[in-house]
Amino acid sequence: MKALCWMGNNKVEVHNVTDPTILNPHDAIIKITRTAICGSDLHLFDGFIPTMEEGDILGHEFMGIVEEVGKEVANLQPGDRVVVPFTIACGNCEFCKKRIWSACDNTNPNAHLMEAAYGYSGSGLFGYSHMMGGYAGGQAQYVRVPFANVGPLKIESDLPDEKVLFLSDIFPTGYMAAENAQIQENDTVAVWGCGPVGQFAIASAFMLGAARVIAIDRFPERLDLARSIGAITVDYSGEDVSVLTALKDLTGGIGPDACIDAVGLEAHSAQLQGIYDKVKTALMLETDRPSVLRQAIQAVRKGGTVSIPGVYGGLLDKVPFGAAFGKGITMKMGQTNMHNYMEPLLQRIEKGQIDPSYIISHRITLEQAPEMYKVWRDKKENVTKIVIDPWAA
Amino acid sequence: MSKALNEKPNAKLLPASSSAGVILNGRYLPPPEDKDGKIWIRTSALVQADPETLYEMWRDVESAPLWQEQIERVTRTGETTSHWVMRSGGKDSGGDKGKNKDKDRTIEWDSEVLADEPGRRIAWRSIGGESENAGEVIFEPSPSGRGTMVTVLQEFRMGKLASVWETIVGRNPKQAVIEYLRHFKALAETGEIPRTEGQPHGPRGKIAGIKRSMYGEEIPTPPARKAS
Repeated sequence: MKALCWMGNNKVEVHNVTDPTILNPHDAIIKITRTAICGSDLHLFDGFIPTMEEGDILGHEFMGIVEEVGKEVANLQPGDRVVVPFTIACGNCEFCKKRIWSACDNTNPNAHLMEAAYGYSGSGLFGYSHMMGGYAGGQAQYVRVPFANVGPLKIESDLPDEKVLFLSDIFPTGYMAAENAQIQENDTVAVWGCGPVGQFAIASAFMLGAARVIAIDRFPERLDLARSIGAITVDYSGEDVSVLTALKDLTGGIGPDACIDAVGLEAHSAQLQGIYDKVKTALMLETDRPSVLRQAIQAVRKGGTVSIPGVYGGLLDKVPFGAAFGKGITMKMGQTNMHNYMEPLLQRIEKGQIDPSYIISHRITLEQAPEMYKVWRDKKENVTKIVIDPWAA
Repeated sequence: MSKALNEKPNAKLLPASSSAGVILNGRYLPPPEDKDGKIWIRTSALVQADPETLYEMWRDVESAPLWQEQIERVTRTGETTSHWVMRSGGKDSGGDKGKNKDKDRTIEWDSEVLADEPGRRIAWRSIGGESENAGEVIFEPSPSGRGTMVTVLQEFRMGKLASVWETIVGRNPKQAVIEYLRHFKALAETGEIPRTEGQPHGPRGKIAGIKRSMYGEEIPTPPARKAS
C-alpha cells in the first residue's frame, strides 16, 4: 500500500510499504477512505516531538471501511463504515472504566519511554511518535486499528465522509476544550488559535451556553471562519492591538470567564518573549514555546478557567504561575477522551446542528501530501484544513 | 489509631506490615538496596480483576511464556517445582534484518515455590542451574474497592543472568520485571498485550535502524495466548 512516512525534520515522503495485518485478537484492518492532516502533525514535521524515527507512518485522523477483524472483535464486520478515534483505549483498565480513555493503561507498547518522560504513560496514539505507542498512522491506504472492539464509531447513515471525518480528533478535541473551560450560561470565552480545533472549540462553547466568544488569530481566512460561526475576532498582528487590552475592552474590564489555548507548543509571538523562546528552544534549554499559554493565564478573569487543547510536549519557561495562583484560576488540559464525545457529536451532525466540513480548504491525493505539509506549515494558499483521499490518483 | 481525628468514614485499618515490605508500622519503606552483587526490584500494578483470578494466572507457571517474552518454556517438575528455560541468544525478532544465528542459545534453571497462599501470595527461589533469583508476588484488594494491587519483589544475583538479559533485551533485569508485570496486567485486563511488532513502516535509515531496539517494533512482544 501507499503510506506517508516521516523521514526526518521537515521531510515527509510517500512510500510503498507492506499492508498491515491483524496482529492481536482485538485488531481490525480498515481500508481508509478519507484522512486528514492535523495541526499537531506539524509538531512532528517540525521536529518538536521526540522519538520519531525515519519510516514512521503519520496520520491520526482517518475513517474508512472495515476490511478484516480479529477473532475477538464482535461489534464490527467487514464492510462497516467507521470513524476511528486517534487515542487507543482498552476499555477495561481503571482509567477506561473512569472514562478517562486517553489515560488508558494497556495500549502503549512503549509505555516505559513515556513513563521516563511523564511519570506515567497515557494511551497509545496513531502515528504520533514511539513514545506515544509507535503505532503506524492513517495517512495511508490501510491501517491496523488495535482494540477495534472499543474505539471505532460506526456510521450507519449516508452522511458523506467529510461531514463525519473530524469525529476522529478535532471536533471532539474542540468540544472537550469547551467542556474543560467549565462554561456557565452566558459566559464570555476567549479562544486563541482559529485553526480547526479552535473553530470547533468556538462552536462548542456556543453549544455549551457561552453568550460571547472572542477568537484570536492573525490569518484573515481563519478569522473569517470564526466570524462565520458567530465569534468576535481579534487580529493580534494588527498594529496597536494588545490582546490583553482587547479582552478587557470586550468584558467590561474583568476578563473572559474562560480562556482556551488552541495553539499549543509552537505559538508565534512578535514580542520579545517570542524571540526569547526561539533562542531557548534552539539551544535546547526549553522545548516548547508557550506564549499563548502565558497570555491566557494573564487574561483570564479572577477565579476563571484556562482550558488547554493545544499540545505541549516538554518543558516550559516563564509561565506566570504567580498570576495563576493570585487569581485562583483552574487549569484543565490533556489528550481528548475521544470515546466520550464521538457518539453525542455524531448525533449533533445527524440532526444538522453543525456541519464540520465548513473548515475544509483543500482536498488532495496522497502524492500531494508532502508538498501540502509545507503549505500547511507556512499557512499559505489560505489553508484551513487539508483532507486526503488516499486512493485518488 | 489517632484519637484527634474522629471522622474517617472510609479509612481502612492501618496494616502493621504489608506486602513486600512497602509499609511497616504505618511507615513507607523503600525497596531493599542493591548490594554485594544482589539486585532488587519492587514494582506494582493496579489490575482490574479479583485476587483469586490473578493468583491462578501467576501460579500457572507453564503459561509464563505468554507474558514474559524472554521465557521460552516452563515445565512443571513437581507440586512446587518447575524448570525454566530462557532465551539468551540475541533478539528473536520478526524484524527485517534477518534472524539472529544465536537465538537458540538458552539458559536454564530450576525453581521452587516457598510460600503458596491461594489468592494472596506466592514466593519462589531458584534451586540450581544458571540463574540465581528469588521473588514474591502479593495480591491485595485495592483500598478503592476497584481491582487488585499486584506487588512483585524480585532479587537477582548479578552474573550471567543479568548481563545476558541486559544484552538481549536492551533492558536491565529491573526493567524486564517491570515490563513483565505490565504484560501480566494487560493480559489479565484485556486478553492481549499491546504490540507493534510486525506492523508496516517506511524505509528505516541507519540511525532509526539502531534505535529501533528501544521500541516495541523490535523488542519481541510475548504472545499473550496459547497458539492452539
